[in-house]
Amino acid sequence: MNYLFIANVCVWLGVGGYVLFLARQHSVLERRVRQLEILDADE
Amino acid sequence: MRASWLAIAAKDLRLAFAGGQGPVQAVLLGLLLVFIFSLSAAPGDRFSPQQAMAIFWLCSSFAVVLIFSLLFRFEEENDTATALLLSPLPVQGLWLGKTLAGLVLLVLCQVFFFPAALVFLGLDPGGSPGGLVLMVLGVDLGLCILGGLIGAMGHGQGAKDALLTIIVFPLQVPLLLGGIRIGVGLMQGLPLADLGEWFGLVLAFDAVFSGAALFLFPHVFRGE
Amino acid sequence: MFRIYPKTLTLFAAAAMVLMAAGQYAIWFYAPEEMTMGPVQKIFYFHLPLAWWCFVAFFGVFAASVMVLWTGKEKWDVLAGVLAEAGVLFSGLALITGSIWGRAAWNTWWTWDPRLSTTLVMWFVYSGYLVLRAADAGGAKGARMRAVLGIVAFVDVPLVFLSARLWRSIHPAVLASRSGGLEPEMWTTVWINLLAWGALFAAIVLARYHGAGFARRVEAALVRIQEKTLQ
Repeated sequence: MNYLFIANVCVWLGVGGYVLFLARQHSVLERRVRQLEILDADE
Repeated sequence: MRASWLAIAAKDLRLAFAGGQGPVQAVLLGLLLVFIFSLSAAPGDRFSPQQAMAIFWLCSSFAVVLIFSLLFRFEEENDTATALLLSPLPVQGLWLGKTLAGLVLLVLCQVFFFPAALVFLGLDPGGSPGGLVLMVLGVDLGLCILGGLIGAMGHGQGAKDALLTIIVFPLQVPLLLGGIRIGVGLMQGLPLADLGEWFGLVLAFDAVFSGAALFLFPHVFRGE
Repeated sequence: MFRIYPKTLTLFAAAAMVLMAAGQYAIWFYAPEEMTMGPVQKIFYFHLPLAWWCFVAFFGVFAASVMVLWTGKEKWDVLAGVLAEAGVLFSGLALITGSIWGRAAWNTWWTWDPRLSTTLVMWFVYSGYLVLRAADAGGAKGARMRAVLGIVAFVDVPLVFLSARLWRSIHPAVLASRSGGLEPEMWTTVWINLLAWGALFAAIVLARYHGAGFARRVEAALVRIQEKTLQ
């Protein structure tokens, strides 16, 4: 039963971690888009 | 035209030995590895044939990386890569030439590794020497076929070519398993027929990656 | 240009949620407990879908790499990278759950099983592939090189599997073959979870693909603006 619990924790930590990574990538992307908008407004 | 790949191999070998250097770096690294691994057993203890064979192939695997990095470095000086691409030589001929030159250099390295394994690891070369030579050549060929293809990717990459090793080593796994298992089998006096499946696997690796390299090498080695 | 598929993504994400909920219910309340192994056998319902979809992902890397060489379109290169990422994630989780299963069932964290060993070698190969991608090796020729690696890596899979199987057959393994007879309720649970993880896999890949594709478009636009201001 213990092993089952550990396995579950590992799987959901892994998936959750990847989703967090996705979220981070998207926030980086958002920052770049804002940069783009500022540069565009300058012209 | 037909022998153009031979000309490439001969040119590379001449260049490799021109500075009196040859594959010295690869030989030294391999000898060092054998020596360091010999420390993992207490004095007087012998390595099992499987351990000794595994270390031997590990050295060869490292040597291949150094050898192909050397072979493709030749084409960076004076930008001879462009000259080769412009020549009427089919690009695959270049891969074949490099593979051949690499094979010669690797066998040369192993001429040093083998006695080192005898001395430091207690490798016991029993069984059929013919089978051993056949096995070593089959596995070496596979290592060099892969080395010629992946090594070309490192061409012109500066320091980044070191990263390629991280993908080369796991790709070599079937060959290394074959080399270790056949080597151990021969040393234990198994007849060649019993190792047929392993020889088949090594040959399959050589064939599959030769085919892949013939298709893929033109994509790897090309002008901008 | 990168097209995005927000509706498909929503569909997959919704399907993943519903199916995953159903799958979890099936695992914990519907599937009967296995006689000999007890509750630990339930790891199987995670392990199998993870392993299954990681191989689909690696095949996808191969197919996308072929498309890079064939069409030269950038989107295939992005897709190959995204699939490799999902494949490494799934195979990593499959290895961890497999290892825990091994500890519980066979009292060892690691054993030489052809499938297990093949998955481990693949994990190494595709992790290396991702490292190379992250280092942005290859410059202008990068997409082609990555495609060649993607193809070579997949060509290696059957050879690794064959060698792993041969290796073991001389060294007799300690363990008996996996219990063959699953009860019908267990099969239903397996199928639901397989679909649930498939939907999650598709949603993750699509979301990452959108992000990676957009990122490339933004970088390209930034470079264009920079060039214009320099003139």
